[in-house]
Amino acid sequence: MSELAVDIIKRGGRRPSERYSRDKLHASIVAACLSVNTPAGLAEEIAAAVCDDVAQWLSVRPEVTSDDLRRVAARHLNIHHPDAAYLYEQHRIII
Amino acid sequence: MDTFSSLAVIALAALIHASFQLSISVLTLLSGHALGANHARIRVWRLTTSFVIGAGVATMLLLSFLAILFNSLYGRTAPAVVWAITCGLLVGVGVAIWLFYYRHSRGTTLWVPRGMAHYLSDRTKATRDSAESFGLGLSSVFAELLFIGAPLILSALVLVRLTPGLQLAGLFMYTMISMLGLVLVWALVGSGHSLSSIQKWRETNKGFLQFVGGGGLLVLSFFVYVSQIFGGFGS
Repeated sequence: MSELAVDIIKRGGRRPSERYSRDKLHASIVAACLSVNTPAGLAEEIAAAVCDDVAQWLSVRPEVTSDDLRRVAARHLNIHHPDAAYLYEQHRIII
Repeated sequence: MDTFSSLAVIALAALIHASFQLSISVLTLLSGHALGANHARIRVWRLTTSFVIGAGVATMLLLSFLAILFNSLYGRTAPAVVWAITCGLLVGVGVAIWLFYYRHSRGTTLWVPRGMAHYLSDRTKATRDSAESFGLGLSSVFAELLFIGAPLILSALVLVRLTPGLQLAGLFMYTMISMLGLVLVWALVGSGHSLSSIQKWRETNKGFLQFVGGGGLLVLSFFVYVSQIFGGFGS
Protein backbone atom coordinates (compact mmCIF):
# COMPACT_ATOMS: atom_id res chain seq x y z
CA MET A 1 0.00 0.00 0.00
CA SER A 2 1.46 3.43 -0.99
CA GLU A 3 2.10 5.94 1.78
CA LEU A 4 -0.43 8.75 2.19
CA ALA A 5 0.94 12.26 1.67
CA VAL A 6 -0.25 13.57 5.01
CA ASP A 7 1.79 15.81 7.32
CA ILE A 8 1.71 15.04 11.01
CA ILE A 9 2.05 18.13 13.18
CA LYS A 10 3.91 17.08 16.31
CA ARG A 11 2.65 17.60 19.81
CA GLY A 12 2.92 21.20 21.06
CA GLY A 13 4.26 22.30 17.66
CA ARG A 14 7.82 22.43 19.02
CA ARG A 15 9.23 19.69 16.79
CA PRO A 16 8.99 19.90 13.00
CA SER A 17 6.09 18.11 11.34
CA GLU A 18 6.78 14.81 9.63
CA ARG A 19 5.22 12.70 6.90
CA TYR A 20 2.68 10.07 8.00
CA SER A 21 4.25 6.63 8.28
CA ARG A 22 1.97 3.62 8.29
CA ASP A 23 4.83 1.46 9.57
CA LYS A 24 5.31 3.71 12.59
CA LEU A 25 1.61 3.64 13.44
CA HIS A 26 1.52 -0.12 12.88
CA ALA A 27 4.48 -0.64 15.23
CA SER A 28 2.90 1.47 17.96
CA ILE A 29 -0.40 -0.45 17.75
CA VAL A 30 1.42 -3.79 17.82
CA ALA A 31 3.39 -2.61 20.88
CA ALA A 32 0.18 -1.58 22.68
CA CYS A 33 -1.38 -4.98 21.96
CA LEU A 34 1.72 -6.87 23.09
CA SER A 35 1.80 -4.80 26.29
CA VAL A 36 -1.51 -6.37 27.31
CA ASN A 37 -0.31 -9.89 26.55
CA THR A 38 -1.96 -10.26 23.13
CA PRO A 39 -0.41 -13.00 20.96
CA ALA A 40 1.97 -11.53 18.34
CA GLY A 41 -0.04 -12.77 15.34
CA LEU A 42 -3.28 -11.28 16.62
CA ALA A 43 -1.48 -8.03 17.45
CA GLU A 44 -0.27 -7.78 13.83
CA GLU A 45 -3.80 -8.44 12.52
CA ILE A 46 -5.35 -5.83 14.78
CA ALA A 47 -2.65 -3.29 13.86
CA ALA A 48 -3.25 -3.85 10.15
CA ALA A 49 -7.00 -3.35 10.60
CA VAL A 50 -6.53 -0.19 12.64
CA CYS A 51 -4.02 1.21 10.12
CA ASP A 52 -6.55 0.63 7.32
CA ASP A 53 -9.23 2.49 9.28
CA VAL A 54 -6.87 5.35 10.06
CA ALA A 55 -5.75 5.52 6.41
CA GLN A 56 -9.38 5.98 5.39
CA TRP A 57 -9.74 8.83 7.88
CA LEU A 58 -6.50 10.42 6.68
CA SER A 59 -7.33 10.13 2.98
CA VAL A 60 -9.29 13.40 2.92
CA ARG A 61 -6.91 15.37 5.18
CA PRO A 62 -3.66 17.07 4.08
CA GLU A 63 -2.38 17.42 7.64
CA VAL A 64 -3.39 16.32 11.13
CA THR A 65 -1.89 16.68 14.61
CA SER A 66 -0.17 13.73 16.25
CA ASP A 67 -2.72 13.97 19.10
CA ASP A 68 -5.60 13.63 16.62
CA LEU A 69 -3.90 10.70 14.94
CA ARG A 70 -3.41 8.98 18.30
CA ARG A 71 -7.01 9.67 19.32
CA VAL A 72 -8.46 8.29 16.10
CA ALA A 73 -6.16 5.26 16.20
CA ALA A 74 -7.21 4.60 19.80
CA ARG A 75 -10.89 4.87 18.85
CA HIS A 76 -10.49 2.23 16.15
CA LEU A 77 -8.25 0.07 18.34
CA ASN A 78 -10.94 0.19 21.01
CA ILE A 79 -13.25 -1.76 18.66
CA HIS A 80 -10.75 -4.60 18.37
CA HIS A 81 -9.04 -4.56 21.78
CA PRO A 82 -10.35 -2.19 24.50
CA ASP A 83 -7.51 -2.98 26.93
CA ALA A 84 -4.83 -2.21 24.36
CA ALA A 85 -6.70 0.96 23.36
CA TYR A 86 -6.77 2.10 26.96
CA LEU A 87 -3.01 1.62 27.35
CA TYR A 88 -2.39 3.23 23.94
CA GLU A 89 -4.27 6.34 25.07
CA GLN A 90 -2.60 6.35 28.49
CA HIS A 91 0.92 6.04 27.17
CA ARG A 92 1.66 9.78 27.31
CA ILE A 93 -0.20 10.46 30.54
CA ILE A 94 1.26 7.82 32.85
CA ILE A 95 4.06 10.01 34.29
CA MET B 1 9.49 8.85 72.04
CA ASP B 2 10.15 5.22 73.03
CA THR B 3 11.56 2.55 70.73
CA PHE B 4 8.17 1.20 69.71
CA SER B 5 6.86 4.68 68.86
CA SER B 6 10.05 5.45 66.93
CA LEU B 7 9.71 2.32 64.81
CA ALA B 8 5.99 3.02 64.34
CA VAL B 9 6.79 6.55 63.10
CA ILE B 10 9.37 5.14 60.66
CA ALA B 11 6.88 2.52 59.46
CA LEU B 12 4.13 5.13 58.92
CA ALA B 13 6.55 7.47 57.12
CA ALA B 14 7.57 4.55 54.88
CA LEU B 15 3.91 3.70 54.18
CA ILE B 16 3.31 7.29 53.12
CA HIS B 17 6.41 7.07 50.93
CA ALA B 18 4.93 3.89 49.41
CA SER B 19 1.79 5.80 48.41
CA PHE B 20 3.83 8.12 46.15
CA GLN B 21 3.56 7.16 42.54
CA LEU B 22 6.44 8.37 40.39
CA SER B 23 8.53 5.19 40.62
CA ILE B 24 5.39 3.10 40.07
CA SER B 25 4.53 5.17 36.99
CA VAL B 26 8.02 4.66 35.58
CA LEU B 27 7.86 0.93 36.33
CA THR B 28 4.48 0.69 34.59
CA LEU B 29 5.88 2.50 31.55
CA LEU B 30 9.05 0.39 31.57
CA SER B 31 6.99 -2.82 31.70
CA GLY B 32 4.83 -1.55 28.83
CA HIS B 33 7.84 -0.80 26.64
CA ALA B 34 9.53 -4.11 27.46
CA LEU B 35 6.39 -6.15 26.76
CA GLY B 36 5.55 -4.04 23.70
CA ALA B 37 8.99 -4.70 22.23
CA ASN B 38 8.13 -8.42 22.46
CA HIS B 39 11.10 -9.17 24.72
CA ALA B 40 11.27 -12.62 26.29
CA ARG B 41 9.51 -12.86 29.66
CA ILE B 42 12.83 -13.43 31.43
CA ARG B 43 14.22 -10.20 29.97
CA VAL B 44 11.16 -8.25 31.07
CA TRP B 45 11.58 -9.77 34.53
CA ARG B 46 15.27 -8.80 34.62
CA LEU B 47 14.52 -5.22 33.61
CA THR B 48 11.71 -4.73 36.13
CA THR B 49 13.65 -6.47 38.91
CA SER B 50 16.70 -4.25 38.29
CA PHE B 51 14.45 -1.20 38.40
CA VAL B 52 12.94 -2.21 41.75
CA ILE B 53 16.40 -2.95 43.21
CA GLY B 54 17.65 0.43 41.93
CA ALA B 55 14.75 2.25 43.59
CA GLY B 56 15.37 0.33 46.83
CA VAL B 57 19.09 1.12 46.84
CA ALA B 58 18.40 4.83 46.19
CA THR B 59 15.91 4.94 49.07
CA MET B 60 18.34 3.21 51.42
CA LEU B 61 21.23 5.48 50.40
CA LEU B 62 19.15 8.63 50.80
CA LEU B 63 17.92 7.63 54.25
CA SER B 64 21.42 6.59 55.35
CA PHE B 65 22.88 9.85 54.06
CA LEU B 66 20.31 11.95 55.92
CA ALA B 67 20.80 9.93 59.12
CA ILE B 68 24.58 10.40 58.95
CA LEU B 69 24.12 14.11 58.22
CA PHE B 70 21.80 14.64 61.19
CA ASN B 71 23.99 12.52 63.43
CA SER B 72 27.04 14.61 62.59
CA LEU B 73 25.11 17.89 62.93
CA TYR B 74 23.09 17.23 66.09
CA GLY B 75 24.26 13.94 67.57
CA ARG B 76 21.53 11.59 68.74
CA THR B 77 19.09 14.31 69.81
CA ALA B 78 18.16 17.05 67.40
CA PRO B 79 17.10 20.41 68.92
CA ALA B 80 13.39 21.19 69.20
CA VAL B 81 13.62 23.76 66.44
CA VAL B 82 14.70 21.06 63.97
CA TRP B 83 11.69 18.93 64.95
CA ALA B 84 9.43 21.97 64.58
CA ILE B 85 10.84 22.73 61.11
CA THR B 86 10.38 19.09 60.12
CA CYS B 87 6.77 19.15 61.32
CA GLY B 88 6.20 22.32 59.28
CA LEU B 89 7.72 20.61 56.26
CA LEU B 90 5.43 17.59 56.76
CA VAL B 91 2.36 19.85 56.93
CA GLY B 92 3.47 21.84 53.89
CA VAL B 93 4.15 18.77 51.78
CA GLY B 94 0.94 17.11 53.01
CA VAL B 95 -1.18 20.08 51.93
CA ALA B 96 0.76 20.37 48.66
CA ILE B 97 0.01 16.70 47.95
CA TRP B 98 -3.70 17.25 48.54
CA LEU B 99 -3.66 20.24 46.21
CA PHE B 100 -1.10 19.44 43.54
CA TYR B 101 0.11 15.85 43.53
CA TYR B 102 -1.77 14.81 40.38
CA ARG B 103 -2.37 17.13 37.46
CA HIS B 104 -6.05 17.82 36.85
CA SER B 105 -6.35 15.73 33.71
CA ARG B 106 -6.90 12.14 32.64
CA GLY B 107 -4.27 9.55 33.42
CA THR B 108 -1.85 9.60 36.30
CA THR B 109 0.27 12.60 35.32
CA LEU B 110 2.10 13.98 38.34
CA TRP B 111 3.23 17.45 39.34
CA VAL B 112 6.89 16.68 38.82
CA PRO B 113 8.86 19.13 36.65
CA ARG B 114 7.91 18.39 33.02
CA GLY B 115 11.56 18.30 31.98
CA MET B 116 12.20 15.56 34.53
CA ALA B 117 9.07 13.67 33.46
CA HIS B 118 10.13 13.82 29.79
CA TYR B 119 13.64 12.72 30.71
CA LEU B 120 12.32 9.72 32.66
CA SER B 121 9.89 8.87 29.87
CA ASP B 122 12.61 9.04 27.21
CA ARG B 123 15.07 7.03 29.33
CA THR B 124 12.37 4.42 29.98
CA LYS B 125 11.86 4.02 26.24
CA ALA B 126 15.62 3.74 25.65
CA THR B 127 16.28 1.25 28.46
CA ARG B 128 17.58 -2.03 27.04
CA ASP B 129 19.57 -3.75 29.78
CA SER B 130 19.54 -4.35 33.51
CA ALA B 131 22.21 -1.75 34.35
CA GLU B 132 20.23 1.01 32.62
CA SER B 133 17.10 -0.17 34.35
CA PHE B 134 18.88 -0.09 37.72
CA GLY B 135 19.96 3.50 36.99
CA LEU B 136 16.42 4.39 36.01
CA GLY B 137 15.21 3.08 39.38
CA LEU B 138 17.77 5.29 41.13
CA SER B 139 16.75 8.33 39.04
CA SER B 140 13.04 7.86 39.66
CA VAL B 141 13.56 8.06 43.43
CA PHE B 142 15.68 11.22 43.15
CA ALA B 143 13.09 12.76 40.82
CA GLU B 144 10.48 12.40 43.55
CA LEU B 145 12.62 13.98 46.29
CA LEU B 146 10.24 16.95 46.45
CA PHE B 147 7.58 14.66 47.97
CA ILE B 148 9.55 11.85 49.60
CA GLY B 149 11.99 14.30 51.22
CA ALA B 150 9.70 15.06 54.16
CA PRO B 151 9.10 11.44 55.32
CA LEU B 152 12.79 10.66 54.71
CA ILE B 153 13.96 13.59 56.86
CA LEU B 154 11.61 12.65 59.67
CA SER B 155 12.66 9.00 59.54
CA ALA B 156 16.34 9.98 59.61
CA LEU B 157 15.78 12.17 62.68
CA VAL B 158 14.00 9.31 64.45
CA LEU B 159 16.52 6.73 63.26
CA VAL B 160 19.60 8.41 64.79
CA ARG B 161 18.01 8.18 68.25
CA LEU B 162 17.90 4.39 68.12
CA THR B 163 20.65 1.93 69.08
CA PRO B 164 22.94 0.86 66.18
CA GLY B 165 21.19 -2.49 65.78
CA LEU B 166 17.77 -0.88 65.69
CA GLN B 167 19.06 1.79 63.31
CA LEU B 168 19.89 -0.94 60.79
CA ALA B 169 16.53 -2.61 61.39
CA GLY B 170 14.76 0.73 60.95
CA LEU B 171 16.68 1.42 57.74
CA PHE B 172 15.70 -1.94 56.25
CA MET B 173 12.14 -1.61 57.50
CA TYR B 174 11.74 1.82 55.90
CA THR B 175 13.19 0.61 52.60
CA MET B 176 11.03 -2.52 52.48
CA ILE B 177 7.79 -0.77 53.42
CA SER B 178 8.42 2.17 51.08
CA MET B 179 8.78 -0.30 48.20
CA LEU B 180 5.50 -2.15 48.81
CA GLY B 181 3.70 -0.48 45.89
CA LEU B 182 6.61 -1.07 43.53
CA VAL B 183 6.99 -4.69 44.57
CA LEU B 184 3.24 -5.24 44.12
CA VAL B 185 3.31 -3.88 40.56
CA TRP B 186 6.51 -5.85 39.84
CA ALA B 187 4.85 -9.06 41.09
CA LEU B 188 1.65 -8.41 39.10
CA VAL B 189 3.57 -7.73 35.88
CA GLY B 190 5.80 -10.76 36.51
CA SER B 191 2.81 -13.03 37.04
CA GLY B 192 1.27 -11.99 33.73
CA HIS B 193 -1.39 -9.52 34.88
CA SER B 194 -2.47 -7.04 32.26
CA LEU B 195 -0.80 -3.65 32.49
CA SER B 196 -4.05 -1.99 31.51
CA SER B 197 -5.81 -3.33 34.62
CA ILE B 198 -2.94 -2.08 36.80
CA GLN B 199 -3.06 1.36 35.17
CA LYS B 200 -6.87 1.44 35.37
CA TRP B 201 -6.68 0.75 39.11
CA ARG B 202 -4.10 3.49 39.55
CA GLU B 203 -6.16 6.00 37.57
CA THR B 204 -9.41 5.11 39.36
CA ASN B 205 -7.86 5.31 42.83
CA LYS B 206 -5.50 8.23 42.36
CA GLY B 207 -7.69 10.53 44.45
CA PHE B 208 -7.66 8.02 47.30
CA LEU B 209 -3.87 7.63 47.15
CA GLN B 210 -3.50 11.41 47.09
CA PHE B 211 -5.75 11.77 50.13
CA VAL B 212 -3.94 9.02 52.03
CA GLY B 213 -0.48 10.42 51.23
CA GLY B 214 -1.33 14.00 52.22
CA GLY B 215 -3.46 12.98 55.22
CA GLY B 216 -0.79 10.58 56.45
CA LEU B 217 1.80 13.35 56.48
CA LEU B 218 -0.54 15.61 58.46
CA VAL B 219 -1.26 12.88 61.03
CA LEU B 220 2.45 12.11 61.32
CA SER B 221 3.26 15.77 61.73
CA PHE B 222 0.68 16.16 64.51
CA PHE B 223 1.99 13.09 66.38
CA VAL B 224 5.63 14.15 66.11
CA TYR B 225 4.83 17.73 67.10
CA VAL B 226 2.97 16.62 70.21
CA SER B 227 5.56 14.04 71.25
CA GLN B 228 8.67 16.12 70.50
CA ILE B 229 7.67 19.73 71.10
CA PHE B 230 5.10 19.34 73.89
CA GLY B 231 6.62 16.13 75.20
CA GLY B 232 9.95 17.42 76.49
CA PHE B 233 11.83 19.27 73.77
CA GLY B 234 13.43 16.40 71.93
CA SER B 235 13.95 14.15 74.90
